[in-house]
Amino acid sequence: MNALTGTGTLLRFVLRRDRIRLSVWTLALVGTVAATVPALDEMFATEAQRRSRAALMDTPTGIVFGGPGYGLDDYGLGPMVVNELTMSLLIALAVMNILHVVRHTRAEEESGRAELLRSGAVGPSAQMTAALATAALVDLVIGGLVAATLAGSGLAIADSAAYGLGLALAGIAFGAVAAVCAQVTGYGRGAAGLAFLAVGVLFLFRVVGDMAEPGGNALSWLSPFAWVQQTRVYDDLRWWPLLLYPLLVCLLFAAAYALAGRRDLGAGLVPPRPGPAGAGSLLRGATALHLHQQRGAVIAWAAAVFAFAAAFGTLSSEIDTMLEENPELGAVFLGGTSEVMAGYLGTMVSYTMMAASAYAVVSVLRTRSEESSGRAEAVLATAVSRYRWFGGALVVSALSSTLIVLLGGLGMGIGAAAAVEDSSWIGTMLEAVLAQLPVALLFTALTALVVGAAPRLVPLVWAWFGYSVLATMFGGLLGLDEWLVDLSAFSMLPLLPGGEFEAAPVAVAAAVAVAAAAGGLLGFRRRDLLPV
Amino acid sequence: MTDTVIDARGVVKRFGRFTALDGLDLTVEAGQVAGFLGPNGAGKSTTIRVLLGLLRADAGTVRLLGGDPWKDAVALHRRLAYVPGDVSLWPNMTGGQAIDLLGRLRGGLDPDRREELLARFELDPSKKARTYSKGNRQKVALVAALASDAELLVLDEPTSGLDPLMESVFTRCVLEAKAQGRTVLLSSHILSEVEKLCDTVTIIRRGRTVESGTLEGLRHLTRSTVRASVDGDPSVLSGLDGVHDLSADGNRVSFAVDNDRLGTAVRAVGDLEVRSLVCTPPSLEELFMRHYGDELSALDGSGGERT
Repeated sequence: MNALTGTGTLLRFVLRRDRIRLSVWTLALVGTVAATVPALDEMFATEAQRRSRAALMDTPTGIVFGGPGYGLDDYGLGPMVVNELTMSLLIALAVMNILHVVRHTRAEEESGRAELLRSGAVGPSAQMTAALATAALVDLVIGGLVAATLAGSGLAIADSAAYGLGLALAGIAFGAVAAVCAQVTGYGRGAAGLAFLAVGVLFLFRVVGDMAEPGGNALSWLSPFAWVQQTRVYDDLRWWPLLLYPLLVCLLFAAAYALAGRRDLGAGLVPPRPGPAGAGSLLRGATALHLHQQRGAVIAWAAAVFAFAAAFGTLSSEIDTMLEENPELGAVFLGGTSEVMAGYLGTMVSYTMMAASAYAVVSVLRTRSEESSGRAEAVLATAVSRYRWFGGALVVSALSSTLIVLLGGLGMGIGAAAAVEDSSWIGTMLEAVLAQLPVALLFTALTALVVGAAPRLVPLVWAWFGYSVLATMFGGLLGLDEWLVDLSAFSMLPLLPGGEFEAAPVAVAAAVAVAAAAGGLLGFRRRDLLPV
Repeated sequence: MTDTVIDARGVVKRFGRFTALDGLDLTVEAGQVAGFLGPNGAGKSTTIRVLLGLLRADAGTVRLLGGDPWKDAVALHRRLAYVPGDVSLWPNMTGGQAIDLLGRLRGGLDPDRREELLARFELDPSKKARTYSKGNRQKVALVAALASDAELLVLDEPTSGLDPLMESVFTRCVLEAKAQGRTVLLSSHILSEVEKLCDTVTIIRRGRTVESGTLEGLRHLTRSTVRASVDGDPSVLSGLDGVHDLSADGNRVSFAVDNDRLGTAVRAVGDLEVRSLVCTPPSLEELFMRHYGDELSALDGSGGERT
């Protein structure tokens, strides 16, 4: 028996287990591309329209979500697709690969299922290999379908192939990052968090590098987010940047296998230390318990959001330079630096809200895992009422997402204030995030409603979250009707700075949140605790 | 304090189309240690969850400590302590933290008793829960429950992960709880443990109560085993009422006899020039097997059922 015995069987098993999950990812990503390409072609039909769109790609917002800006001089359909879609596709691929790899490596060990499998004729490296191989397979399928879609729209075949391959290789690289992170910590959740942090930092490298210099500087080249677009597809195709992916992947794989080979099954790199022999005086009551369980995650999310927000806020300083270099921009925005800055920071507020809302949902969903693990049973068999336990979870979710929102606003404000030496931005950005705060609370409340009243409908919350992200990011691009965009959680409330504050929608959102939370509490009081 | 601590009648609980409890009855009087027996999937844990107000019964009446376990859950839970069958703890908390937390959520626990129990169960409270074995997780829940002042202990297969040494510690703890006047509901597979500890026994099967009463009473309803060495011809015994499974090997004879016919059978054996005689009352295991015996023989057929 060698280290890989059983990989084939496990590979088929992973595909069988995740056939729906992986199909949904594939369809969603390829479908987004297939829908966006004709929409772009239609929306930016004339030369003038394309030129103004290209100018937009030269702004900080354009660089953050567009890329280094190749092909802007002659902005045809190909460069347009690459600039509009690449970052979103890469981020989605990162999420998919990280979740997949952690789910089939560390999470399996943590649950004890890996022990059962490894007791059979299964080699020590088989599980990780199966996880990485299935991730790579799906990445290649997605890359291939994207390439075919683009070539099918009449774009150059070689460039389309390079682009599809680039996406697939980037996905595999993100999976490899997750494989290394899965060796470090003993917890699945921690491994995924670590991988997201690593990928986030790599994303930031590219953004900062691309902002500093058109086409990116050395910092950009450190990031796998950059290499897809560094092939200059549909502009001046060069294949060699794609070679960096196999290089990075081999390095990461070697590290992951080496770390995995040196540790015991189920162990992290840091051995568990003994803890306190008794509970501190603060650990009393259901809310304190929820807080104790989530404090690490809340601190990590809040710190990450603050750091990213501050970094993106600081990038406002580039706006002046860009306006000087590119006078056409001024014409597009009909305003000066502060208008461009307001638009840019408004977009960043939306992303802060996405992060805070995602945490709000994840936080309430923790009650589900408490319930299915039987820990909720142990607590609810004591003198803790259903209202207290579930209500405590809602309070923790609402407070944590509020903290994340405020730190996001503060980070952007401090960053922007430092960048343009105008401290009034701090107050402006705090106002801007506060105007959007009900969105995050709405996600807390809606998740509470489904968990309390209809636990089977939990995927609906994620569906609405996903729709909201897509509609807010691509709604304009896809030419969605206004009411369809308005269905997005992140487009419901006035977006400041730049927008106009209206009290009515904020009040309605807050009222709906309160009603949904109350419905969730009542539902949870009335239903059976789910059998273990 | 009420005399009847648990009074469940005709309890029905369905999960979709599956009927987990189908008219179950369970009565436990104050101060008793009540055994609750049944094979896997018979509905023991479901019954306990109904008693704890974690599940709502579809039909029937359930009274716990004089209250309604669904409506008065919090007030009742102050007076009871529960040890789940499959103890799951918060992985990043130590055992000691979990014990304190559960105790506080219940309304406080006795710190001296906590220390004493930790020592008796040989549990290290400073280890993180994720490093505990199944038995150690069970000890955490046991210490948390036994260190409380609860008047009712609800224990769902509490010894399934304990080694024999710890099992005997557990047995002593339950006997002490009984001596303090507490009531104990003990669901278990381990028949010797039930025989040692329990005043009454309720046996359930497929969500129904098939037998309940004191162990003595139940024994009376069933058969004893008689083994004897005789010089006479044992074949006369086969004609007797209430004698079953007669087998004779030379001058040795063994048979089972209904307890109400025991006297007649022993007299008949006495007439056969008896040289030795052993009469064994039915063990709980035999009681148990009598109710599940046909299920055992059907095992290779249908594959059984589960919850």
